Amino acid sequence: MSQPSGELLDHLFRQQAGRMVARLTHVLGPSHVTLAEETVQEALLRALQTWPQDGVPGNPAGWLFRVAHNLAIDSVRRTQSFGQKTDAIVAAITQSAQTRETPELDDQIRDDELRMIFMCGHPALSRDGSVALSLKTVGGFSVKEIARAFLADESAIAQRIVRTKKLIRERKLTLDLPNGPELTERLDAVLDVIYFMFNEGYAAHEGVDLIRQDLCMEALRLGRLVAGARAFDLPRVHALVALMALQAARLPARVDDAGDLILLDDQDRTRWDERLIFLGFQHFDRSMAGAEVTEYHVQAAIAATHARAADASSVDWRTILELYDQLLEMTASPIVALNRAVAVAKVHGPAAGLDALETISRDPKLQHYHLMLAARGQLLAELGRPEDAAKAFAAALERGCTDPERRFLLRRLAQCTH
Amino acid sequence: MHKYMLLLYDVPSAWAKLSPDEMQKAIEKYMAWGQKPFVVRGVRLANDVGRVIRSTGGPVRTTDGPYSETKEILGGYYLIEAETYDDAVKRTLDHPHLEYQGTIEVRQTWE
Repeated sequence: MSQPSGELLDHLFRQQAGRMVARLTHVLGPSHVTLAEETVQEALLRALQTWPQDGVPGNPAGWLFRVAHNLAIDSVRRTQSFGQKTDAIVAAITQSAQTRETPELDDQIRDDELRMIFMCGHPALSRDGSVALSLKTVGGFSVKEIARAFLADESAIAQRIVRTKKLIRERKLTLDLPNGPELTERLDAVLDVIYFMFNEGYAAHEGVDLIRQDLCMEALRLGRLVAGARAFDLPRVHALVALMALQAARLPARVDDAGDLILLDDQDRTRWDERLIFLGFQHFDRSMAGAEVTEYHVQAAIAATHARAADASSVDWRTILELYDQLLEMTASPIVALNRAVAVAKVHGPAAGLDALETISRDPKLQHYHLMLAARGQLLAELGRPEDAAKAFAAALERGCTDPERRFLLRRLAQCTH
Repeated sequence: MHKYMLLLYDVPSAWAKLSPDEMQKAIEKYMAWGQKPFVVRGVRLANDVGRVIRSTGGPVRTTDGPYSETKEILGGYYLIEAETYDDAVKRTLDHPHLEYQGTIEVRQTWE
């Protein structure tokens, strides 16, 4: 039954913590999410106290699940905050604890997690709050880990979570999924939260910190969870999953051993994660059902075009440029315009790219944006104007940028001045 | 070869801040350490207050043990083999308990 030196699956506790919090919150009610979290933490502590001596149980997840339920019963009886409902809640936990390891239990837990994400994505909550609470509850991340992933202060994240929980209590938010148009609206908010979570993890901050990759993988997991529910088997959901999987596939190739950034053109494509590319294309295919074309679709198509190329020289930049044109019509985002200018340079040469940059560089949001200046420097260098390029790289360095970006810019600057 | 007893004390509330991921890593480290060839036995004490029996000249009194969330309590012990105290301490220095703000008391046993 037990295995004294049993290996545990990577992140088993994190995953199980998320599932157990979702399960217990469903049974206890959303206003008791903190109690659910504390109970789960206590169950993990019990494992820490007993497994090293007794060995890992044959079914670690089942063990944790059972212990968490028993602890929940104890604390519901002890806290007395449930008043007359105490017996009913205890009965509900007891019943939940007796659910056998069956496919039905898996369905139940997926349903719990889904409801939890949809509550966290309620429009009454701020997006930052939604992301932090989702990570804390369904994600099984600690406040410290979330703070590290967001490069934020631990106490700020803790406060954000407290505020979000308070809003849930005040607004009496439930785990019930809304109906009709409200469900569509909520789904879009949830997709937005997931996409935001992914982008936070994907942004080129200190790349060696694995917690940021974990953030991307958690967003991908949540996206797949939503896409796997029959009610949300929708093209735009699959498009979001596709774009996250295809972009996440590049994560292993994005930094070198020293933690320095490697641009897409220079990445070793054999280091791209094939399983994620496969997954990405599966969802990309499913995103094509119907006529709907969302931003997620176009972003996914761009990532897919990159993924299809065998090497950097065979990337179909014409297609990518068309896709950026399309995306620009949908979003008018200055960042998209910047990426489009890079695609223009790939298709029509650096001079055309520079012209495209000129037209958007007047945008106040982009004027001082370090990546815009870096792209400008790159194109000027390609045009054989090293002095002007050096100026652009130096200007980019003066703006706020992350350490890997700073090292990258310094390398480019050195190349211009030699 | 002599036998030494390692008494492991910890502050229970210190564990509350660890993330699930960190808890899992802690378990893996404790398990790995327990597998070392010089470990004769390891015993984890139950997670309760225990009892203290005292005789201070008068009648023997039994009370609940001292226990508070912020105070170090004895959580378990190991019996290990080592030649000398120095040797015993050296073998204990990489125990994960010391990574988690725990205290380890090393005592030689009579044989």
